[in-house]
Amino acid sequence: MKIIELHESVTASNDRDADALRKKMKDEGTLLINVMSSPGSGKTTLLSATINALKDEMKIGVMEADIDSAVDAERMEALGVESIQVHTDGMCHMDAGMTEEGLKSMKVDNDLVFLENVGNLICPAEFDTGAGKKVMILSVPEGDDKPLKYPLMFGESDVLVISKIDALPYFNFSLEACKKRAKQLNPAIQIFPVSAKTGEGMDAWISWLKEAVRTWKEEN
Amino acid sequence: MNQYEIFETKERVTADNDREADKVRSALTDRNVFLVNLMSSPGAGKTTTLVRTINALKDQYRIGVMEADVDSDVDAKTIAETGAKVIQLHTGGSCHMDADMTERGLEKMGFDDVDVVFLENVGNLVCPAEFDVGAAKKVMILSVPEGDDKPLKYPLMFKVSDVMIENKIDVAPIFDYDFDKAEQRARALNPKIQCFRLSSLKGDGFEAWVDWLHKEIEEWRKR
Repeated sequence: MKIIELHESVTASNDRDADALRKKMKDEGTLLINVMSSPGSGKTTLLSATINALKDEMKIGVMEADIDSAVDAERMEALGVESIQVHTDGMCHMDAGMTEEGLKSMKVDNDLVFLENVGNLICPAEFDTGAGKKVMILSVPEGDDKPLKYPLMFGESDVLVISKIDALPYFNFSLEACKKRAKQLNPAIQIFPVSAKTGEGMDAWISWLKEAVRTWKEEN
Repeated sequence: MNQYEIFETKERVTADNDREADKVRSALTDRNVFLVNLMSSPGAGKTTTLVRTINALKDQYRIGVMEADVDSDVDAKTIAETGAKVIQLHTGGSCHMDADMTERGLEKMGFDDVDVVFLENVGNLVCPAEFDVGAAKKVMILSVPEGDDKPLKYPLMFKVSDVMIENKIDVAPIFDYDFDKAEQRARALNPKIQCFRLSSLKGDGFEAWVDWLHKEIEEWRKR
């Protein structure tokens, strides 16, 4: 497995780099998805289940961004998809330059690449990585008040996956309240309540992904 | 010799902050105020833990709470119900508290009105670990649903903390969380870290944590 050491790009404009990267990915027909969440909300578990559902239909790559360690990349590699680990050198988020650097180590013909960002609800929301879509995960144990406390993340994301819904009976979490708060910040946000463990709700999320990949390629 | 100067920006920022943190700590020592820096991921149960902790200590000490959030004041409202003195700090988008922000918060709070102050840091396992705020003790919460692998992925937080609270033990049966593994991983990074397994919601295991805190506060006040 490849481990790439990254440092924050010293660039005047992250947004400019992000736009350039997005265009390049579009030309290559690869949909890059920036997956963001708190630590432990289930990014890796959701990605594993998602990859298993899609890997026979399309070529998938995963870029695991962590401050340190390679635990997640090892799990991804076991699924049989291209997986690289990037280390952010203590940084709390990925930016466009770091993403581009990481992508250089991957094959170019993937249909779909997931960037699993550093577990953090704040900083990654501020940095466009050049991804075609931004997906955030909120897990049931974290609480339905999170849109109130981390509004930028909910405002920036195209999709909110509410994970660990199998744990709903054990937590005081209102799906309706959470959806309402997220929609208030971002009326266009798509919301998928899922449990990667039981498979509940996974179909709708997988269909959305397939459609997103198809549109990304068609609009070329 | 180098033809140009190399400026390590980040090092400079944290070194300045460390100096400022020492100043805060010495002001707190002079005034006999015990400051706890409470850190965790979003949704690990900082506020619930604080409410129960305040209720256990409020007859003995005058307690103040500084709620640091990017935005909103949902937590401050919850804390105010305990009768503790609360101030809400908005970090203006910043992902952590630093010593200077803490000092300003403490001035607003009034050093003379409190014996124990809890700083509820921004929900984040990365950035707050890098910034000393001048607290007497750093306490981090890891909740069971987050998983026992977190010390591997966010090592600095576990390295710098005096205490790891493993919260939400009441839901342990439905999650795949190994307490011994989590503690082994934390101790490998920080052999001195104290671990408490508890449920802030239900109260299980809470006594050991409050006893520890009580003992530390008394030791601080004797200095």
